[in-house]
Amino acid sequence: MQVFIAQVINGLSLGSIYVLLATGFNLLLIVAMIIHFAYPQVVVFSMYIAWVVLRYTNDNVVLAVLAAIGSSILLNLVSAPLFQKIMKNREEVDINTTMVLSLGIGMIITDILSHGFNKGLPIAFPEALAGTRPLLRVGLISILSGQVSSLLVGVVAVSGIFLLLYKTRAGRAFRAIAEDPAGARLVGIPIVRTGLESYALSGILGGLIAVLLAMLLGYTSPGLGELVAHKVLAVSIIAGLGNLVGGLVVGLALGILEALVQGYISGSWSNAIAFVVMLVVMLFRPRGLFGIKL
Amino acid sequence: MSLALYYFLAITAIYILMSWGLYLPYRVAHLHFLTVANMLISGYLAGFLVQNLGFSFWIALILGFAAGGILGYLISLFIGDAPTFTVVIVGFTFIYVSRTVVENLKAVGGTMGMFGLPTVAGTPSTHRTVLLILLYVLVVVVGFLIYRFEHSRLGRAASAVFVDKDLATSLGVDIKRMGRLVQTFSSLIAGGCGVLYGFIYRSYHLDFFTFHLVGIFMTVIFVGGYATMWGTVIAAPALYGLTLILPTEVASWRIVIYGAILIAVLVLKPEGFITRRLAYRVENALTRKRKRHITDPKGD
Repeated sequence: MQVFIAQVINGLSLGSIYVLLATGFNLLLIVAMIIHFAYPQVVVFSMYIAWVVLRYTNDNVVLAVLAAIGSSILLNLVSAPLFQKIMKNREEVDINTTMVLSLGIGMIITDILSHGFNKGLPIAFPEALAGTRPLLRVGLISILSGQVSSLLVGVVAVSGIFLLLYKTRAGRAFRAIAEDPAGARLVGIPIVRTGLESYALSGILGGLIAVLLAMLLGYTSPGLGELVAHKVLAVSIIAGLGNLVGGLVVGLALGILEALVQGYISGSWSNAIAFVVMLVVMLFRPRGLFGIKL
Repeated sequence: MSLALYYFLAITAIYILMSWGLYLPYRVAHLHFLTVANMLISGYLAGFLVQNLGFSFWIALILGFAAGGILGYLISLFIGDAPTFTVVIVGFTFIYVSRTVVENLKAVGGTMGMFGLPTVAGTPSTHRTVLLILLYVLVVVVGFLIYRFEHSRLGRAASAVFVDKDLATSLGVDIKRMGRLVQTFSSLIAGGCGVLYGFIYRSYHLDFFTFHLVGIFMTVIFVGGYATMWGTVIAAPALYGLTLILPTEVASWRIVIYGAILIAVLVLKPEGFITRRLAYRVENALTRKRKRHITDPKGD
């Protein structure tokens, strides 16, 4: 029972990160109309930037967090004109081509990380950032600072995003574009500017996720982005693309499933089992459990 | 023949076949990355059959094709008409799951891979010649089949699905059946390619079947031109050859180079270098020349 409780706590903190990733991903999807498959790679890139800053500033966590958020916003904004040029070329929303472009961006980021940082080997975050300090220990259950932080920040950030979307003027603009881009333009909502705001917002979220992942995992590697990217896209598909509430439920469920599998089955099989479960759901419900909201 | 030329020709043929394997489902707007998993599964299956059970290469090759086709068909029953992003993620998930399974299977060498596969025929030199002939016969046969498909009612139906699924449905196209057909065929090609890919190097290793492979095939299609099969024939040797002529230090960044080329082409030349219009113009010119030659063989 203790293993079960410990793994559920683990799962909730991991799940909250999946929820954040799926929220950032869905935000870009519903407002900017792109499938940003490389979004998790942007997050992993920001983790590397945080690591570099920690190394050269004698473990200054504040600077590392700011650098992670800054780099994530910058990468998102740099890629924005590329996506917009493609939409303009085709004179229509073309989610498939934006996905291919995004896969290209992901290829570049992953390869730069493989070649340019620590000879492609995984990097470990220093104690100053990695949340490996136990806050509470009862038998087999130990609650680490990284787990608590990711869960708390996850809840606050997702609540913040939902508040922004449903209680503010900017949020109404986001939702209007998601519902009907042509109608939104007609009532005077600046489509391009609002799109750019969604890139910036998901960039902020990406930077936060980078820090939380660093705290929770304590390490990162070039291949982590691809692995997380598949999971996030799978979460979004199972939830129903663009469905923020669905992403919340499925993200948490995936986190708990993965943690439980890890608790009872050998490590190398745990990811595969989670993937098989996702695969089965996707094969039987290719349009998601909660419905596509595009 | 030098080893460098052999590898260039052999890998180029694999790139062409595998990119066609992606191109065909893309005719109905599906990015079918399951093909890389098909390569891996059929390749390791063939390696196991030949090395551990003493099967002949030819039987293993046939079984490799069959394994690819069967898996492709079974999966297509579920995703034959699924949205593109679902097809993409199902493909990626299969790559990940099959990699994990192989990693944990001692019988196929786990993370170490399989080495020292026997030659296909006699000496290493004959082995290379036989493989090259086999690969290019396959390129011609698959190319011919795709060409016939493109110039048939089915090809036109696929074009309709690519442009507008609802319109295609209202015109009587069975989208699911069309998706199943192209997905199964592309998985079949990929299964055979997986077997041949390992026998080119006479070894199988998980590093042969990474997500980079997806990126490479995708670059070949989109740079060459996704609207016609000929783009792949031009882009595969050009892109693979490019990394061979670059200095080693630069060539080691080949995925960055491919990614940059892919992005540049998507932004600046969205239909790729060989557009459908260009392909039709060349085809028409060749047909006219042939007709003129038949009616007036001396060219007077």
